[in-house]
Amino acid sequence: MVKTAGRKFLELLLSIFFLSVIIFYIARLTPGDPLISYYGERVEKMSPEERERAEERLGLNSSVSNQYLRWLADAFHGEFGISYKYKMDVTEVIGERIGNTFILGGIGFLFIFGGSLLLGILCAWYEDRLPDHMICKMGTAVSCIPEFWLSLILILIFAVNLRWLPSSGAYTIGIKRSAADRILHLILPMTVVVAGHLWYYAYMIRNLILEEVRTDYVLLAKAKGLKKRRIMFRHCLRNTFPSYLSIMAVSVPHILGGTYIVETVFSYPGLGTLIYESARYKDYNLLMFLSLMSGALVILCNMAAQVLNERIDPRIKSENMGKAPEGIGL
Amino acid sequence: MTNNFELVGIKPTPRKETVQKEKWYKGKPVFSGVLLALIAAGCLLGGLLMTEDSAALNLQNCGLPPNGEFLFGTDTMGRDIFSMIWLGGRVSLFIGISSTIISTITAIVFGALSGSAPVWADTILMRLTEILFSVPEPLLVIFIQAVLGEANVFSLSFVIGVTGWMSMAKIIRTEVRQLRGSEYVIASKCMGGGFFHILKKHLAPNFISSIMFMAVMNIRNGIMVEATLSFMGIGLPVEVISWGSMLSLSEKALLSNAWWMIVIPGAFLVATLMCITSLGNDLRKSMNRGQGYF
Amino acid sequence: MSEKKTDGEILLDIRHLTHIFSFPKRVTVKAVNDVSFQIRRGEIFGLVGESGSGKSTIARCIMNIYRPCAGEIIYKGVNVCDLKQLRKNKRMLDTTRQLIFQDSSSSLNPRMKVCDIIEEPMRIQRTNPPRGSYRAEAEFQLYYVGMDASYLDKYPAELSGGQRQRVAIARALAMEPELLVADEPIASLDVSIQAQIVNLFRHLKKEHGFSFLFIAHDLSMVEFLCDRAGVMYKGELVETAPVKKLFENPQHPYTKRLLAAVPIPDPGRERARKGNRW
Repeated sequence: MVKTAGRKFLELLLSIFFLSVIIFYIARLTPGDPLISYYGERVEKMSPEERERAEERLGLNSSVSNQYLRWLADAFHGEFGISYKYKMDVTEVIGERIGNTFILGGIGFLFIFGGSLLLGILCAWYEDRLPDHMICKMGTAVSCIPEFWLSLILILIFAVNLRWLPSSGAYTIGIKRSAADRILHLILPMTVVVAGHLWYYAYMIRNLILEEVRTDYVLLAKAKGLKKRRIMFRHCLRNTFPSYLSIMAVSVPHILGGTYIVETVFSYPGLGTLIYESARYKDYNLLMFLSLMSGALVILCNMAAQVLNERIDPRIKSENMGKAPEGIGL
Repeated sequence: MTNNFELVGIKPTPRKETVQKEKWYKGKPVFSGVLLALIAAGCLLGGLLMTEDSAALNLQNCGLPPNGEFLFGTDTMGRDIFSMIWLGGRVSLFIGISSTIISTITAIVFGALSGSAPVWADTILMRLTEILFSVPEPLLVIFIQAVLGEANVFSLSFVIGVTGWMSMAKIIRTEVRQLRGSEYVIASKCMGGGFFHILKKHLAPNFISSIMFMAVMNIRNGIMVEATLSFMGIGLPVEVISWGSMLSLSEKALLSNAWWMIVIPGAFLVATLMCITSLGNDLRKSMNRGQGYF
Repeated sequence: MSEKKTDGEILLDIRHLTHIFSFPKRVTVKAVNDVSFQIRRGEIFGLVGESGSGKSTIARCIMNIYRPCAGEIIYKGVNVCDLKQLRKNKRMLDTTRQLIFQDSSSSLNPRMKVCDIIEEPMRIQRTNPPRGSYRAEAEFQLYYVGMDASYLDKYPAELSGGQRQRVAIARALAMEPELLVADEPIASLDVSIQAQIVNLFRHLKKEHGFSFLFIAHDLSMVEFLCDRAGVMYKGELVETAPVKKLFENPQHPYTKRLLAAVPIPDPGRERARKGNRW
């Protein structure tokens, strides 16, 4: 057990290492000027000597490989460099905003998780009847609405026209640490995040449960006279839970990472906008750290899902090995 | 007693009811199909429907709500939204379809290779896809865009295609892995069948049905991603008209409460996506039914 | 009995074949252990043994589905365990040896029509069909195995087990091979069809001089059909002899036990043999 955990950890480290190399090179090799994010508009007016001095100060004048090695050495000490735009330590910049994203993403995730479970069960219970059809149709319809458009429409209706809810930011400037204010600001973005993903997972749960319902043991239970509610909750749901958990595990990075659209439209200060900005304006250090974080999250979640899957169904492990006979050729 | 064995109690009755022939369009998403056809036709015949030259920036008319002259109003730069919808639709649909073609071909090649490779190569390929997958999407898009230079329709299709093949490839790989061990593939190998022959004749017919549905969904995703990217500014520039780039100006529209700039292109977008989705769902249902025959 | 081409030439020579399957967690199974035998041109060699004795593994090693761990398989002078020779003679090897699987429902692609299935080897090798077109060739082969041309456009799911097996045999015959390896081809068929197919094999041997490796666990069939036979037990070839000698005078104790288990249809003789236990 410890050996496999150790091996998985090694795989994780290796993957993150590769990821860091890839991102480093991609970011550096993209055409574009990183000095802009540091100096803003002044870059155009700088003379060549000033540029050189600036580049040297920021450590951009050596070859890419050198820069990478230097970054790696620093990273081992826990120093990830300075964000050009914010002129602060990278970890500080992230620290300010990470809370916001986790609130939006995390609570949204919980809502999606719980809500889709409820909807899924509802659909499976009333399979092929009106509630099921209605929920599925609504689900397909809503899933076609792009997130940003939904955000715009909501802002249009609720903020501009009705003036019930604020349209941007995480909190109103001036009012500090008021939970109610925060919640008010959270309502619209959260609605968009949840509405965008809820239906997809609800549909998945519905299908999982229905697959269980079609098995022979459920038929036996019905024949024995068990009540529908008992069959559904004690048997089917329990059996689908592991698969559902692994699906949820894979979707964590997807939901957390997908908040950047919502954050942009609502001007919500979170990590999503940071990623977008740092990529656009070549804020290297920030970009590296953020990408590594998100990459690590994705790999971790994938591993967790794989482990879960292999525990549930040991056949998958051997399938992954490939049942084909060894031989010459295909 | 006769020699013939006679069943007692059964009277031969003539068949009175004729079998009702099911209308061929029963159960199919007629409405979606028709709507989609209408929109597509409108986009293709864009030239005939345009009432105004949409490229003309007429600053006098900027920001007008829908009225008699401009059916859908004008945007902040004075362009006629009605004409832009049809022109932009062409671009959006094209990007959706071409990106799907790119991603499907990549997925098939990658998936088939990965499925037929020995275990160690397969693991490496899968890890590679995972790593690529874990690069944050905006970064990848920006990078590819920057490398390809100016953002035009083709580069955007390429970008969307290249970022979207991974889940399809995974499914193809799993199917190929499973099929590899089946006896008819082994038999074909014994007869001298090469990689491509087996792929074409034995593997492809089996996974085509799985990915057909995904391909249709990818068209839908392609259109949606294009709209999102253009909105965020890393897709098509404002001069190239598509539904997404029309929406990229809409943030300013919020301030002036110019609802028509937001609602109308969005409505078209959503309607098209919904049609494609329901067609895709119907496709999947008919595929599943076909499978059950065996 | 005039038999074509029985010049006694050794077609297939297996020397010290060993194959080990390795599974995860260090489990290994020695499926075939130092097996050697020969098949001459125009003879039917039967391989019998209980389930799990390694017969199918030998068949698959011969056909290059598995690569054996040790030993040599020499077919018409070509050592098929050697990659270089294998690649050089690929075409000859692919056309002159064919394999008939045990399970006909999984060895035929359910999405292909019968005519496509039979034509497949010809299409792969791009041979010139002697009867005009591929379809005519397929029709001829089907006729040969006793099915008429109406079956050409059917799918395997629409055929019965015996018909499917006959299609598999037609597919193997389409290339007019010299060596046919049949892995329990009649195990899943009913007795009348079994008889038909066994007679077909005899006819092929007599008229066309095909050589067979006939793997079965039905001893009476082997006695009826084969010239020589070998007995496998737990991966080892315990005895090889011409069929008559094997059945009348078995040497190895396992062979004796195997033969003793075969019931004789005549109850009197059976009882006598069993020693009046009743």
